[in-house]
Amino acid sequence: MAAVRQTVEHVQALEKYQHGFSTDIEQDFAPKGLNADIVRFISAKKDEPEWMLQWRLEAFERWLAMDEPSWAKVNFPRIDYQDSYYYAAPRAKAGPKSLDEVDPDILETYKKLGIPLREQEVLAGVEGAPRYAVDAVFDSVSVVTTFKKELAQVGVIFCSMSEAIREHPELVKQYLGSVVPVSDNYFACLNAAVFSDGSFVYVPPGVRCPMELSTYFRINAENSGQFERTLIIADKGAYVSYLEGCTAPMRDENQLHAAVVELVVLDDAEIKYSTVQNWYPGDPETGKGGIYNFVTKRADCRGDRSKVSWTQVETGSAITWKYPSCVLRGEGSSGEFYSIAITNGRQQADTGTKMIHLGANTRSRIISKGISAGKSSNTYRGLVSAHPKAKGARNFTQCDSLLIGKRCAAHTVPYIEARNGQAKFEHEATTTRLSEDQLFYVMQRGLSQEEAVQLLVNGFVKDVLQELPMEFAVEAQKLVAISLEGSVG
Amino acid sequence: MNLAAAIRERNAAELPSKRDEDWRWTDLRGLIRTAPEPSQPFTGQLPPGPFDALAEDWRVLINGGEATVDVPARTEAVEALRFVARGAGSHVASATIRVGANARLLLLESYESDGASLALASLTLALEPGAVVERIVLTADHEDAVSVSQAEVTLSPTAGFSQTLVAGGARRQRLETRVLHPGGSAELRLDGIYLLAGKRHSDQTSIVTHAGTDGLTVQLAKGVVRDQARGVFQGRIVVEEGADRTDARMGHHALILSDRAEVDAKPELEIYADDVACAHGNTVGALDEDALFYARQRGIPEDEARALLTEAFVGEVVDRIGHEGAREIVRAWVAQGLRD
Repeated sequence: MAAVRQTVEHVQALEKYQHGFSTDIEQDFAPKGLNADIVRFISAKKDEPEWMLQWRLEAFERWLAMDEPSWAKVNFPRIDYQDSYYYAAPRAKAGPKSLDEVDPDILETYKKLGIPLREQEVLAGVEGAPRYAVDAVFDSVSVVTTFKKELAQVGVIFCSMSEAIREHPELVKQYLGSVVPVSDNYFACLNAAVFSDGSFVYVPPGVRCPMELSTYFRINAENSGQFERTLIIADKGAYVSYLEGCTAPMRDENQLHAAVVELVVLDDAEIKYSTVQNWYPGDPETGKGGIYNFVTKRADCRGDRSKVSWTQVETGSAITWKYPSCVLRGEGSSGEFYSIAITNGRQQADTGTKMIHLGANTRSRIISKGISAGKSSNTYRGLVSAHPKAKGARNFTQCDSLLIGKRCAAHTVPYIEARNGQAKFEHEATTTRLSEDQLFYVMQRGLSQEEAVQLLVNGFVKDVLQELPMEFAVEAQKLVAISLEGSVG
Repeated sequence: MNLAAAIRERNAAELPSKRDEDWRWTDLRGLIRTAPEPSQPFTGQLPPGPFDALAEDWRVLINGGEATVDVPARTEAVEALRFVARGAGSHVASATIRVGANARLLLLESYESDGASLALASLTLALEPGAVVERIVLTADHEDAVSVSQAEVTLSPTAGFSQTLVAGGARRQRLETRVLHPGGSAELRLDGIYLLAGKRHSDQTSIVTHAGTDGLTVQLAKGVVRDQARGVFQGRIVVEEGADRTDARMGHHALILSDRAEVDAKPELEIYADDVACAHGNTVGALDEDALFYARQRGIPEDEARALLTEAFVGEVVDRIGHEGAREIVRAWVAQGLRD
């Protein structure tokens, strides 16, 4: 009950979208529009080696020949790719060496968002409190990465992508684009051409990363897109837990976010990737503004007995188009996908996962909870496939959708492709509204309707919340409550 | 261009392909480079049809043709409808069936071919209030045939429609059913069975649109695939805005009995109303080893145990057939199919 009370208090204390402020700072922009010169501009801005520029230019060439996909159950006006800035960075004093050199306005922004950029702030809590290192990406660039030294002691590399290209070119060359190829899809290809920053993680063999790593993405500039690229490599027997959070100011125009996340998991290694996505969802009444979130996330379980777990809480964005996937190549590798997707107002989400079983005895598990309210539309789209060599592959999928209100929509579109006789796939899906009986029971015990709904919704998504790291679970639970505010009655 | 026009005009480029979302697992364009010549009229002797024992009268459409069935209000009828392809030509056949208020119809339909034909059958069924129809479809297609059946069913409130598709596959075979469900206590059952061996393919696709309140849909499809066969199940249930108190349940379960067989499934829910109870379940796998072990431990030889378990697996769908005579014909067909 404490959690419910806390949730209710939180809702009362906050506006609908609490991260909707913008920060007024001096920024460097690339000229508006997109052409090969812009790609060169971004590459030059980041001081990249020639091979990186060639990689980008090649991606741009291919992107020009591609068509925007239209199969998702989302509707939006055609995007004018020339009407956006592809690079926006806080005007820096030649690369800040320490936190003291970072623009205080940016630090203030992160403080407002509750993200600890000062290491002592993380430590300042109760003794024994979990610590986590942060890479903060502000528009197109990473402004600061914390705890780098401590991580370096155990050999973990945690830095911005631009830094990785400079400092660890051999690792970047080996793995970049190896999970999500340049021309994998329209948005991934665009990202390959114009990606600006993102996080890079390498965990050496046998190392268990001593703390949670996290990246916090913030879109601030107007009319700009954010294209970050994250690459995480867990070498043999390594383990890392990675968290990702995102917010953006409230603006009337739509902004594009097209990220690519690549995970490489070698023998016996494990990556746990958690996302709390809270981009500005647009105006709930008019549907004006909000982020277009077109993201490609994929994990390649290359090693035997490797494991990947995706957990996502999707509450923001005007449009979400996102399918974190697992390619289960290694023998006995396993993939998990836990998702809560909430849409309210006029949001549209088409999200799910792909579990591609290539190796023998691979296992996967999908738990997806979709909630639609208001006039929103929420689609689960997922693929489970077993190739002829994936003997003994196992999948369990559970997709539940909850509808709150008369004007919302919930869809379930699973694809199951079994190409061998020794795979076993199970899939279950349900779509219902909140049970009148349960609501009645809870309200009869003295809870208001809003509280009762929150309690039941928390119960509905509990299976997924349990999978989140503790500090994220609390935030996520609050987020669930806020996202559904005003949808009852 | 629709499929009928593509076949009539022998325009292979307009045939549906895997790039069309609804045909992703039943690629005709990739298979048929040049459309076959139109089928020639056939005057020879036909073998008996699968339902001859049940119907006194039957309509046979050989290499195309049209049929109209009218069941007057408050009457009972049994209709056997045979779509037959002879030779390796292409053709389009169509049938229009109207069932009056409170009438009852047992529709026994079969698809028979003996060569590499390309055939499309289009059916339109309209049920008036209170009408009750049971449709049983059996296929006896040649392994080189390409056969597509597209049925459009329009229900009235309080009508009842139940269907069982029994498919043995072909080079490409598709049995498509689209149902407009008005709600209003109309009841719908859409069942299917597929037993596939060799390199056969069979696709059961259905789209049920619930447009009004209080509709009921139950669906159960089961398949068994062996060798290099490929079974496809696509089921979509759409609940339109305002179609409250819709109750829809879909199940698809398949057994893969060899390493190179394939099953593809897409059970979809598309829901625009909140007061609904919709669910689907889908499983694909091999025979349960525990059950097999149990049976063998009781002294049943392995082959027999496998046959027994497989028959029981499919039997659940057979048991749901309402008409006793049709049920026994299907049961015999299944037993035969599993023995071969």
